[in-house]
Amino acid sequence: MLNITDLHASYGGSLILQGIDLAVKQGEITAIMGRNGMGKTTLMKTIVGLLPAMSGSIQLDGQMITHLKPHRIAERGVGFVPQGREIFGDFTVFENLKLATLRFPRQKRQIPSALFAYFPILEERKNQRAGSFSGGEQQMLAMARALVTHPKLLLLDEPSEGIQPSIVQEIARILRDINQKTGITIVIVEQNVDMILDLADTCAFLEKGRIVDTCPVDTLRKDESLITRYMAV
Amino acid sequence: MADLIIQILNGLNFVLVLIMVAMGLMIIFGLMNVINMAHGEFFLLGAYTVVVTNQIGLGFWPALVLAPLAVGLIGMFIEYVCIRHLYQRPLDTILATWGVSLAIKQLIIIFFGPAGLTVSPPLPWMISVAGINYPAYRLFIMTVALIIIAFTFYIFLRTDFGLGARAVIANRDMAATLGIDTRRMYRTTFTFGAALAGLAGAVMAPIMSCDPQMGLGFFIPAFLSILVGGTGTLYGVLAGGAIVGGGDSLFSYHYSPVIAQVVIFSLAIVLIRIRPQGLLGARNNE
Repeated sequence: MLNITDLHASYGGSLILQGIDLAVKQGEITAIMGRNGMGKTTLMKTIVGLLPAMSGSIQLDGQMITHLKPHRIAERGVGFVPQGREIFGDFTVFENLKLATLRFPRQKRQIPSALFAYFPILEERKNQRAGSFSGGEQQMLAMARALVTHPKLLLLDEPSEGIQPSIVQEIARILRDINQKTGITIVIVEQNVDMILDLADTCAFLEKGRIVDTCPVDTLRKDESLITRYMAV
Repeated sequence: MADLIIQILNGLNFVLVLIMVAMGLMIIFGLMNVINMAHGEFFLLGAYTVVVTNQIGLGFWPALVLAPLAVGLIGMFIEYVCIRHLYQRPLDTILATWGVSLAIKQLIIIFFGPAGLTVSPPLPWMISVAGINYPAYRLFIMTVALIIIAFTFYIFLRTDFGLGARAVIANRDMAATLGIDTRRMYRTTFTFGAALAGLAGAVMAPIMSCDPQMGLGFFIPAFLSILVGGTGTLYGVLAGGAIVGGGDSLFSYHYSPVIAQVVIFSLAIVLIRIRPQGLLGARNNE
């Protein structure tokens, strides 16, 4: 579904991605794990077009998206929840969600009501300033915002960062629920091992700008040695 | 007393037109991080549109529509030819737009000469305001400026386009990944900002002497208004324009234009020292 081949990209002058190969299967939840500074965020930003790929290719459903502008990649059905959430704090919840629909013609700019079934709190607080939300609520808003336009691929960068454990479980439950009900493919960058064991189908380990290992999460549940090898500081 | 009221009205007149010019400058800066040094020349081109319609016998009124259209198109052209290649290079855009500014001034000198030109004032009668006779045309300018300011606020605070533009100002990358075409947004806003300045120049042409340097008289205070008021919010431009324009008018009347300039510049320097983000500006989150 998402096929990345020999992807190189640099950030801030140094080569961060040094030949990423990754194949994400349709409908699966794939986790990308690795220590800090291994290139996880750079990989996400390169997929959505915010950072240019120096070489290699990114294909979405067989179509090249490697050198497209970010808004074109969004149009192809990629939703992105960035690290730190990056919600628009001065805007209301409704305005944050509305932003994702602006690329459509005026009459098609509705926010699907099914979305609020997953995030009831957002409907209650539709007109509240998003900046007044707690971290967990902002994370839900960022997820909802990425889902407004029914993307086929959802990318999340460290959704559990700075969020209390009970909300992390809630977020994992919602993601699992959406994945099962809509069949959306999810790629999630995460350092929270419990969340990944709970949520993902496949896990890929990123080290020094390369994917060094890939395995089903079931394998990890039985044998955590890979996690120790690639995650321990 | 009558004299004072007239001065206040004249001051208000200046403030409102200044806000029109400064809003365009602010929107362009807020969205694209481009300090448009040619913004005064958009004002200039608007004024000379009136000169042209006068010379070919059409009079003032067609220029009211033609000026924003023509200057908007010129702005769009400049964005396409020059500025779009320089995004992410703020210093270069200052140089480039300064060059555009010089080129426009020289073109005006080539076609119209360096001397000041006057155009016959439309609405050449007086209206009684609070017992004082005041030029009808100046009241017309204030009305136009108020409508345009309100219109701009409406566009940016109440429409979907405005929502997208504010999103780009707040967080360009996030807006782009949500599917907003930031390039198109830049072009549209640059055109809009240029058109605002063009219209301001056109309405001011009949009460000014039109010469190739006239843009500077609005560019500098507009620039100061943004510094004082703060970037990132249109309300900042209102506050900045009122302080800079109002202060300038007040001190010019009581003392002299030179004193006014000194006072306004000093005030701006002190304010920027105390509050670098301006009175109402939000800290840039980049």
